[in-house]
Amino acid sequence: MAFRDGFLTEMIGRPAIVEIDGRRTRVGTIADFVVQHPEDTFPRIDAVVLKMRGGDKLAPIGDVLEIQSADRSMVLACIPHVACPHEDEALYLVEDLLDKQIVDVDGRKVVRINDLELARTAGALRVVAADIGAGGLLRRLSSGGIFAGLLAKVPRTLIAWDNVAPLHDLSPREIKLSVSDNRLARLHPSDLAEIISDLSAQDAARVVGSLDDETAADAFEHLDAEMQKSIIEDIGAERAADIIEEMDSDDAADLLGELPEAQQLELLAKMDAETADDLRELSQYAEDTAGGLMTTDYVWIYPHRTVEATIAKIREIAPETEFIYYLYVTDRSEKLLGVLSLRTLLLSSPEISIDNVMDTDIVSVGPEAKAEEVASTIARYDLLSCPVLDHEGKMLGIVTVDDAIDAIIPERLKKQLPRFTRHHKRHLETAS
Amino acid sequence: MKRLVRRALIIFAVLGPGFITASAGNDVGGIILYSQAGAQFGYATLWTLLPLTLSLIIVQEMAGRMGAVTGKGLAGLIRENFGVRWTFFAMSALFFINVAITATEFAGIAAAGEIFHLSRYIIVPFSCIIVFLFVLRLNNKIVERVFVILSLVYLSYIVSGCLAGPDWHAVAHGTFVPTLSSNVPTISNLVFLATVVGLIGTTISPYMQFFLQSAVVEKGSRIRDLLAVRADIVVGSILAIVLAGFMIIANAATIFLANQHLDAKHQIVVTQAFDVARALAPLAGNYAAYLFGFGVLNAGLFTATVLPLATAYIVCEAFGFEAAVDRRFREAPVFYSLFGGALVIGAALVLIPGLDYLKLIFYAQVLQGVVLPLELVMMLVIINRRRVMGAFTNTRAVNAIAWITTVVVGILAIAYVVMQITGIGS
Repeated sequence: MAFRDGFLTEMIGRPAIVEIDGRRTRVGTIADFVVQHPEDTFPRIDAVVLKMRGGDKLAPIGDVLEIQSADRSMVLACIPHVACPHEDEALYLVEDLLDKQIVDVDGRKVVRINDLELARTAGALRVVAADIGAGGLLRRLSSGGIFAGLLAKVPRTLIAWDNVAPLHDLSPREIKLSVSDNRLARLHPSDLAEIISDLSAQDAARVVGSLDDETAADAFEHLDAEMQKSIIEDIGAERAADIIEEMDSDDAADLLGELPEAQQLELLAKMDAETADDLRELSQYAEDTAGGLMTTDYVWIYPHRTVEATIAKIREIAPETEFIYYLYVTDRSEKLLGVLSLRTLLLSSPEISIDNVMDTDIVSVGPEAKAEEVASTIARYDLLSCPVLDHEGKMLGIVTVDDAIDAIIPERLKKQLPRFTRHHKRHLETAS
Repeated sequence: MKRLVRRALIIFAVLGPGFITASAGNDVGGIILYSQAGAQFGYATLWTLLPLTLSLIIVQEMAGRMGAVTGKGLAGLIRENFGVRWTFFAMSALFFINVAITATEFAGIAAAGEIFHLSRYIIVPFSCIIVFLFVLRLNNKIVERVFVILSLVYLSYIVSGCLAGPDWHAVAHGTFVPTLSSNVPTISNLVFLATVVGLIGTTISPYMQFFLQSAVVEKGSRIRDLLAVRADIVVGSILAIVLAGFMIIANAATIFLANQHLDAKHQIVVTQAFDVARALAPLAGNYAAYLFGFGVLNAGLFTATVLPLATAYIVCEAFGFEAAVDRRFREAPVFYSLFGGALVIGAALVLIPGLDYLKLIFYAQVLQGVVLPLELVMMLVIINRRRVMGAFTNTRAVNAIAWITTVVVGILAIAYVVMQITGIGS
């Protein structure tokens, strides 16, 4: 589908075309869109209402072959014949949302919905934002682009749909904002990132601004460098530093590497000293080497502790550490003595000491090792992560299997991969 | 006596947005129109007040019902049902019309100032400040009460009407026997007709429905209060029209009567508020002139408050901004800016030397003649949508009456415009 994103009112009244055996016939015009689950964070559009000679008919979104980005006309696979659901059984975007009042958390009127932005994101056509600005009004007032020149100068004012309280009523009287209610956090970070990249820079910054540091950091890791940079510009150094602190250190280092020197120093100065040191160290390494790929966020333990004490310690630190499946046993000088999997730890008797169960046959790479080399090491030994050691055998960090894969898989393949997780996630959501 | 007071208080308690809105229709322009009608034709035009009351009640009831049932203002409903373009057209037109009518109110205030020998450069800015502080400083409930009390000042017309010693038989005849031909030999039938058209076609202003509906919503009246809303509208409309009738009567019993004894050259012609006062002074004494001046001042102040308020409500509602007099400026900046803007522009128009604001008012009247029928049709379309009104859509009978009213008022409003433009009947 050529269509990526656009405004609702740009599509209303556009022709609907049916393509059968390669022949195209115009059957009607686009009249409305139907959403079955308006309570979703970014509600998915389930069907299109078409104004046809025999009255309004419903076409499931699955029947839409494409929306042509040039003239917003819609091509369908078959002639729609289903009657529209009753107004109480579905949410109609034009009938129920367009031109309706938005109120804020305190019940104060903010503005009316001048338009809705739809975007193809997270595997479906969704409502992503409400246009509440003068631009939206002007766009609807102008026919044939009278105001086109003016329009270009008016900044877009969008409210990302996640800031709108979940709509449980299928014919809502008013639409409430819920900036405090942080529902964006429920989305998978990569979906979140995709949605953020669909928004205008200004709006993306606002969405990121409304997230807690941890969620923002997760989403940030999935954004491309340009978007990261522009958002950092907008949210300010203070907040940016907080978010970067929460990011995986390898991603954080990559991000810092993209920024100009002065900005790097400013951000580092605002972080706590330990994280800043780690990042400084990491940013010395080239991006496609083990040093560039590694994270300093790993679990290290002492060899003389008992299994029981170690499990207790892991419980304590696990919430802040992403990767806990391998535990790295070091001495006081951070020299790596052995490795222990979480599985081994759990299956060992509690009173035994760590040095009795750890694996001293260490597979490691140096910080200058190429990404391919790291990946093949991990693949050969079936590892989940590979430690990076300096020439004295001291721990610098670890490269996890997903970062290693990311580094060697071509960009084009990467785009297709997350689909799995999305479907998977949706099943989980419906199950819960 | 006690019972009488209690009964009077009950009526007073019922009075609210409906009475305020109907009274706002008796503004400076209305006073001049009624005074002209009374001075020129005596009691002959009184009958127009009966259909006027009916149409006022029908139109206002629809607006009040829409407000109570939907909890939304008329501008909001138009936006939701007719989209951005219609709304934008209606709002631009209303803004222009309302600012122009506000200017007529300040012109009336300036004229009243002349009666009291006060310069317009003092009384107009002073009134402007009073209005501003009044709306800004007092809460919603007090504002409404003061509005009602101000409207009751119009009761003085009943007093002056009675004091003028009218011929009650002639009053009854003029009220219940409609005529379309001039009762004065020197004035043509066409001029009489123009006056009748003016009375019916200009008393209902487009802003009134918007203001009434917003005020009903703002007051928190909902479906359960529908009876009270309707009582207010019916009592308020009748009261407002009765007051208008006494304006006609007061002028008929004084100026018209005096004109009967004057030859054609010395006829008293009333075209401005000041004329009425000047005509009244020798006929009914200086106090009558002052009373009239006070009435005009009151009407001017009253409608100069209601109109900019209505404008601010309407535009905010259409575009979804917070609008309420009990919010602080910070909470409703657009609302207060619009209110202040409409008020100050209206006042400034009559103060700028060399500016022919009468021309502006004329254009506003023309526009009003176009917008009113459009507004009434939009109201009828919305009020018949089950999706919007649920079980409270118009019944068939009400629809029939409402459509007839709409068509008649619409035609008369347009007819008035045509007569003004072509100069027929003037």
